[in-house]
Amino acid sequence: MMSETTLFKAALVLYACALAIYLVFQFRKKEKLAIAGWITALLGLLFHTTALIHRTVVSGHAPFTNMYESLSFLAWACLAAYLVIDRVFKIPRAGFLFLIVVLALMLLANSPLMPKEITPLVPALQSYWLWLHVSITLLGEAFFAVAFITSLMYLAAAAREKKNRKPGGLSSEKLDAISYRCVAVGFPLFTLGGLVLGMVWAYKAWGTYWSWDPKEVWSLITWFVFALYLHTRLVMGWKGKRSAIITIIGFLLALFTYFGVNYLLTGLHSYA
Amino acid sequence: MKSLMRFLSSVKLAITLIIIIVVVSILGTLIPQERSAAEYTDRYGGLAPLLMRLSLTNLYHSAWYIVFLSLLALNTVVCTLTRLGPKLRRTFRPRLEAEAKTLLAVKDSGSLKMNFGLKETATAIRKALAARRYKAREKAEGGRIIIFGRKKVLGWFGSEIVHLGLLVILAGAIISSLTGFRAFLKLEKGKAQAVPRAGFEVRLDRFDTEYYPDGQNVKDWKSRLTVIEGGREVRTEFVEVNRPLAHKGFVLYQNSYVQEAKSPLLVFELLDPVLPEAAKKILLRPGQSAPVGKTGLTLSLQRFEPDFIRDENGLISSRSEELNNPAAQVTLSRAGENLVSGWVFARFPEFSMTHESQASGPTIVFRDIRPRISPDFSIIEAAQDKGVALIWIGCGLLMAGLCLAFYWPTREVRFLLEENKNKIDVTAAALGAKNREALSSEFVGLFKELKDQT
Repeated sequence: MMSETTLFKAALVLYACALAIYLVFQFRKKEKLAIAGWITALLGLLFHTTALIHRTVVSGHAPFTNMYESLSFLAWACLAAYLVIDRVFKIPRAGFLFLIVVLALMLLANSPLMPKEITPLVPALQSYWLWLHVSITLLGEAFFAVAFITSLMYLAAAAREKKNRKPGGLSSEKLDAISYRCVAVGFPLFTLGGLVLGMVWAYKAWGTYWSWDPKEVWSLITWFVFALYLHTRLVMGWKGKRSAIITIIGFLLALFTYFGVNYLLTGLHSYA
Repeated sequence: MKSLMRFLSSVKLAITLIIIIVVVSILGTLIPQERSAAEYTDRYGGLAPLLMRLSLTNLYHSAWYIVFLSLLALNTVVCTLTRLGPKLRRTFRPRLEAEAKTLLAVKDSGSLKMNFGLKETATAIRKALAARRYKAREKAEGGRIIIFGRKKVLGWFGSEIVHLGLLVILAGAIISSLTGFRAFLKLEKGKAQAVPRAGFEVRLDRFDTEYYPDGQNVKDWKSRLTVIEGGREVRTEFVEVNRPLAHKGFVLYQNSYVQEAKSPLLVFELLDPVLPEAAKKILLRPGQSAPVGKTGLTLSLQRFEPDFIRDENGLISSRSEELNNPAAQVTLSRAGENLVSGWVFARFPEFSMTHESQASGPTIVFRDIRPRISPDFSIIEAAQDKGVALIWIGCGLLMAGLCLAFYWPTREVRFLLEENKNKIDVTAAALGAKNREALSSEFVGLFKELKDQT
């Protein structure tokens, strides 16, 4: 049996390979390259999955109780979300940008700044709600990440179309629609995991479902911004550029909620 | 009044309010909330009084934050209600009207000629709709029949259910903050205490701290509580972190514990052949004294030093908090007369610094230290929150509404049948806001089925 570190590194190397393949794909539009990139990324995901399972078995708790674990899990969720979305909507051109995000998360997790040793779980985290709350929230954020990338691509595609250059790859209209579909998956997941299950667990562990802790407030802010996205889009008919910008802001807020709050603000969620 | 209603029902107001609430909430996470005035003066200097005046230091409970939230709630109510009426009418009493021109303007639409009579054509359409689980409504007028087929109608109300859920959550939160009550009980082992306002008492039977095998990290804090009502023991249960006990609308949580500082339990042994076996082991904390069986002897522990050191002036202190050289200052007395007094050492049982009044009296040996004794007090939080049920109902509605809004798209197919020279002109269109691809392919299938019958 390979160690968790070996499995993790194998996934990292495979992700780097997938990134290289997708990079070549940016210049030489051969469908075979896109398929090779997808399969390499999936192979990496399998190693990564094994690494996560390995750690869960060894530690006896969910694989997202410190920063290293949760970064690794977020990278896993992002890639899984991308691979699914790519299957459904065929967006191999997003593969390059997306693997940069995944690889960045992996490298951050792998950096010496993140302690990797397995630490026993403090009493407050010993709950099955940990599994539900964190995994569903991060999965929701992973779909926001896909929406973020497709929104960036939308802005690029829209600018290209405006200049009347020959369209390469997906039309801006399709990217806008894919971005919406990702939010339509991410938003209910984020609401369920981040807010609803967060409240349920807080009530069980702390005796109050809401305490205006910075992480709670930032989750609410993120939620409000995506609510704004939905209202402007579905009621007021905003589309395209403005929708894309709100999605980008929303994802950056989600990222701050996940990452920034732990390092810049103090509160009840200071477990990492 | 009308313009006020229009203002309150506008989505633009909702968007403005959401942006304001977002910006203000961010401010609230940058300024630490609900700290002391001194801390704010320390941090912000001359700005501190202004920040406190503006309630920026207790933002989420401030009047103006609540005003913004209430406005958003009011906006949600008005918005939802103004849209609900037309939606209900469209659901339960739809106006069955259709013109070929408008139908054909829809993206998924088409027309064909059927060889049957008008009634037979309508029957064929109804059958095709029923096979796809559409519910049909029909209206015949002159030589025309209009059929509306619909399914997943509940999907239309997804956003209303989401908004209702949010309002229920808000109602729960208001009830919580107005009537919620919490108290912290400092429970001592073996003693009972009344839970304020609850009409029952709790007794702490035992309090355990469990450690991981490494002996360092705490695995769990567990309090065994007995609920006492009117002097009668009602139930006994373990309360631990993440596992509260609910009783009569109150929930009891393991909040924390208190361990009196520098108060380990020390184990002493008296070496004396005449003493009975049972009296030999004595457990004491600093400052305590205890009788030694029925011998009339009393052992008292004056002082404990974990890392004993004596400087050149004879002053005794601890070099560190580590148990490097644990020492205890003890006195053994009988009826006020000191028999043995001085320092004994856990690491060096043979060595002591004591005065003995009798040459052949008992010797005191410092046997053991139990630093990992369970703490002295368990802090139990007792909370009563009548709003919490509404919160969970609201959350359920919120999630159900989101699922309906995103994943239960209402589909509607409209048919217009017109007699035209012994044949029937059928014009049809499919309407649906979401998941157009699936609707398109369903419509194409439906249309083909009808075509094949002619």
